[in-house]
Amino acid sequence: MSSVYLHHIRMKRESKSFVDSMYAILTAAGLFEGPKYRLSGLSGMAFKFTVHERLLPLSVTAYGQWGLEHGPAVDNLGLLTIWDGGRTRHLTFEHYQKDAVNWIKASLDRGLGVIHWIPEFGIIHGYDDDDGVFFLQDGWSQEDHIVLYDNLGLNFTPFWYVQMFGEKVAVPLEEQVLESARLAIHDWHTPFKTLPNKDIASGKLAYEFFIGALKSGDFDEGGGRYILDSYRYARQEIRDYLSEMQTLWPEIAEAYKYYAELSGLIADISFEHSGGVSAMKDKLAAAAQLEDRAIQQFSKLSVRYADPSRTIETRWNTHSSR
Amino acid sequence: MVSLTANKLQHFHMKAESRPYLDAMHAVLTHAGWTTLSKPMLAGMTVNGFRMAVHRRLTAESTTAYNWHAEHFLAADFIGVMCSSKAEFTFKRTFPLYRKQAIGDIRSSIDRGIAAICWHNGQFVAIVGYEDVEDGSGSGGTGNDSVRLFYADGWSDEVKPFNDRDFGVGEDRENPSPYWYYQIFEGCIPMDEAAVMKESFLQAIFKWETHDGTLPEKDYACGAAVYDAILQALRSGDYDQAGASETFRCMAVAKRDIAAYMSEAERRWPAAVEAAAHYYRVAELFTGIEAAAINQVDELCGLFQEAKQAETQAIEALRQLVRETVDNRFHDVGLR
Repeated sequence: MSSVYLHHIRMKRESKSFVDSMYAILTAAGLFEGPKYRLSGLSGMAFKFTVHERLLPLSVTAYGQWGLEHGPAVDNLGLLTIWDGGRTRHLTFEHYQKDAVNWIKASLDRGLGVIHWIPEFGIIHGYDDDDGVFFLQDGWSQEDHIVLYDNLGLNFTPFWYVQMFGEKVAVPLEEQVLESARLAIHDWHTPFKTLPNKDIASGKLAYEFFIGALKSGDFDEGGGRYILDSYRYARQEIRDYLSEMQTLWPEIAEAYKYYAELSGLIADISFEHSGGVSAMKDKLAAAAQLEDRAIQQFSKLSVRYADPSRTIETRWNTHSSR
Repeated sequence: MVSLTANKLQHFHMKAESRPYLDAMHAVLTHAGWTTLSKPMLAGMTVNGFRMAVHRRLTAESTTAYNWHAEHFLAADFIGVMCSSKAEFTFKRTFPLYRKQAIGDIRSSIDRGIAAICWHNGQFVAIVGYEDVEDGSGSGGTGNDSVRLFYADGWSDEVKPFNDRDFGVGEDRENPSPYWYYQIFEGCIPMDEAAVMKESFLQAIFKWETHDGTLPEKDYACGAAVYDAILQALRSGDYDQAGASETFRCMAVAKRDIAAYMSEAERRWPAAVEAAAHYYRVAELFTGIEAAAINQVDELCGLFQEAKQAETQAIEALRQLVRETVDNRFHDVGLR
């Protein structure tokens, strides 16, 4: 019987919950140094943008099948990562849950926190065998949540998800930045990330869904606010990230200009602001165009270099949940 | 825990019979004592036998062109077997980290008495043993110099070695594989065979209707679309003859498996008689396809045309058989 409590891990909700979780874990373990926007940018996570046709709050985390979205994100940081998850109603869940309890504890024994779908994403940063519990942070509260080993993964959504990190190899910064641009291109041009469902759009089409919902008036306002906040924060992250990387290639410098302009444009849009929804629609339409131009710069950069990961088809990746 | 320096599983038998993945899976699960099912039953229950994909030029790669990670996880999940698996490109910078992890996982699995599956030299093989080697190559995962893995490929009873340096990339230095893949099996739970079979019918409908997202549609066809792709390739003459022969042989084996599987279904549920009859016809036609010369385009096209019709009817019959569940799943028949 043992216990671990990683005091030095402190998650703070600012960015996407996955990025906030990853940032707290990796910086505490010395596996990442630097500001959060850089992690968000290098991992490509900042570029993920999905919107439900009725602006449901789940839009913010419904950017695809998590393992397949987070895998390449973490890979670009040079880190080994292992995840598990799925539908808790499936018969094999109990086995995978017990297995996860073991590998989560092993990770904590090595001093590394573990990402966990609460929902949204949070961090497991301790365990106690005597009570059979994990200690969790959600990034909002100073207080820990407690989850029984036996309840791991059970929540009001149909799925569970846990992800840990391993060893690290060095990846040259240029490679990381290029790959992050390519991840951004992919997300921008992939209309649906959770097929066969088509009620949540990604990238370019996400803007259309956002604007479409505002036009129709049939939307979840709380969700709309949350999407807007998350979207705005991510655009600031991208701006700061590209500003830092703009000396690498002229295309990145160009893209930076578009994102800088975009950030300014959307800085004050809100459901309360004068002009309200109508002004918001116009600004979002203009923002979509700016972002499209930025992505065009990424594409211009991307074609200058070989891209074997996207030239050879994979034997993993996209599939619908079954 | 004491780490062994060598371990080799005994009494492991794998026979390659043109079921690229299933031959290995059947051998591993049978050896583990986790299944006594025949290959045709396993082909049906894991949905592997229902899956089809071809490269539009009918290259031999068609037989393994699909989402290994998803399909093999599901194959195990459908029958109540738990597994861990991972696949990626061998040219990624993180590959050495994952290779080390993979070798460690495979060793642990063998120490538990269970063989592992991995992609090696262009096929799915079963890893049945390991041995630490002090040869100064330095890529080992356990502090030793390197690890020699022993594998069965189903072509002979002989177990062959490869060095962990060759994990994923394979032993052909000129043509290293871009993919690494491995799967270890962690346990099994008892399942209701009838429920597994019914689920396989739903998944068969899904596979028939759905294109595999990992394959670009301009180069590959999946499910129902496979028949038209084959007909088009044969008529245009732009196809790989050796690859087509291999692809048709694997398809024929899969169809015979499903015919045998459906005969078991028919025994259990008289209502399955119609679906079974159509699948018997499909299997029969594929036996003709296998026997025909690969350049006999007219004959082949006639047979494929008929097979397409018969399998379309088979799927319709399956849909009738499980119609309430199909309806319950709305637009997403694959989501359990």
